[in-house]
Amino acid sequence: MPVTSTMQLAVSEAFARRDSAGHALAEDSLRIARACREMADRFHRGGKLIVFGSGGGGTDAAHIAVEFMHPVIMGKKALPALALSNDAATVSGVSAREGPAESFAHQLRRWADPADMALGISRDGDCPGVLRGLQEAGALGLFTLALVGGDGGAVVRERAAEHILIAASDDPAVVKEIHVTVYHVLWELVHVFHDRPGLLGGKETG
Amino acid sequence: MSTGDQPPEGMGGLYPFLYPGPGDLDAVLTEALRSTGEKAAEIVRLRRELAESMADELVECAGEMAIRFAAGGRLFAFGNGGSSTDAQEVATAFLHPDHGLSLPALSLTSDVAVVTALSNDVGFDVVFARQLAALGRRGDMAFGLTTSGGSANVVRAFEEAARQGMLTIALAGDRGGRLAELELLDYLFVIPSSSVHRIQEAQTTVYHVLWELTQHALGAVPAPPVRNVG
Repeated sequence: MPVTSTMQLAVSEAFARRDSAGHALAEDSLRIARACREMADRFHRGGKLIVFGSGGGGTDAAHIAVEFMHPVIMGKKALPALALSNDAATVSGVSAREGPAESFAHQLRRWADPADMALGISRDGDCPGVLRGLQEAGALGLFTLALVGGDGGAVVRERAAEHILIAASDDPAVVKEIHVTVYHVLWELVHVFHDRPGLLGGKETG
Repeated sequence: MSTGDQPPEGMGGLYPFLYPGPGDLDAVLTEALRSTGEKAAEIVRLRRELAESMADELVECAGEMAIRFAAGGRLFAFGNGGSSTDAQEVATAFLHPDHGLSLPALSLTSDVAVVTALSNDVGFDVVFARQLAALGRRGDMAFGLTTSGGSANVVRAFEEAARQGMLTIALAGDRGGRLAELELLDYLFVIPSSSVHRIQEAQTTVYHVLWELTQHALGAVPAPPVRNVG
């Protein structure tokens, strides 16, 4: 079979592979909304969002930080966020001296205040640095949220975060695509709650 | 207490659920769930639309990229803000993939020293163009991402890339902005949406599919079998 026609099949198959994971995202709506309400409450109390991931997950961390710091939608308030993986000197420095699993945990110990939030991204849930970062953040009393994929890996097995959202795919590229939609929705819903402080704190009635 | 009930101009129409009546958590949660469901459906629909409208051009573009890589070409990715993080994703996806061939790719925004030096001394419009002028050569690839299509530094980078005989590939949104008027691009993939968020999400799919097809064209193994988890 000529390469071009197998390429035609490959392109259809690649797009089709995205459908079910894309739809499945809607099933997480309530989990996402609840996490956002807690985050808005933390932002109101002066907390900041600390985001981290390795490899491609690091680019998501950077995207999330800029989303909050400099919203693309005019009129939305800038909220404090920091992507740990952007500091290449510290990440590579800690990795070289104490091992790659220790970088985010180390940065969190120096940067975290009690009202802060930790958001770790790992497409298979098995990134040791993200796992250690979430565990450290939990021990420091931070709100913890993990975006993972596949079967959730060690992050799910070890219940490393209070809130865990799993993209319903084993393909890391598709997992990333679902994560991008999830964090866009996260950003938007955090603002929904943040704009309405009367809804923060306390328990849901429903 | 400020409740933000008064929508800034235009915001009420875009996000009606931001400005409900009296603060009612259940009502806001219900509206949030509906809104998230709609967004999930919207991006799935948008991807399907692209699968129809862009498939042939994506296949052709990936074939051209594979030819460049096979001949020693390198890929340079660039963009601003959220798109700069996509440029970094593109670079690391090609350079350090989960599977398949490792291919040379660089994100121009990763070098903060060069980006800030050029911005401070010359101007932000020249950052990517100057980097390509120094690092690029005939047979390389310029891969620029912008949601609007109007970023001046991205436009100038493509002008420089074309001048050098690089393959030029642009991802834009809405109607393509200034990039749509630029006649020197080899490939322009425009995501037909007015939402910056949906454009970015669809662009992520476009560059992943390009990556996968490039691997395919180079004879690398196809993607691993997919098993959906609940």
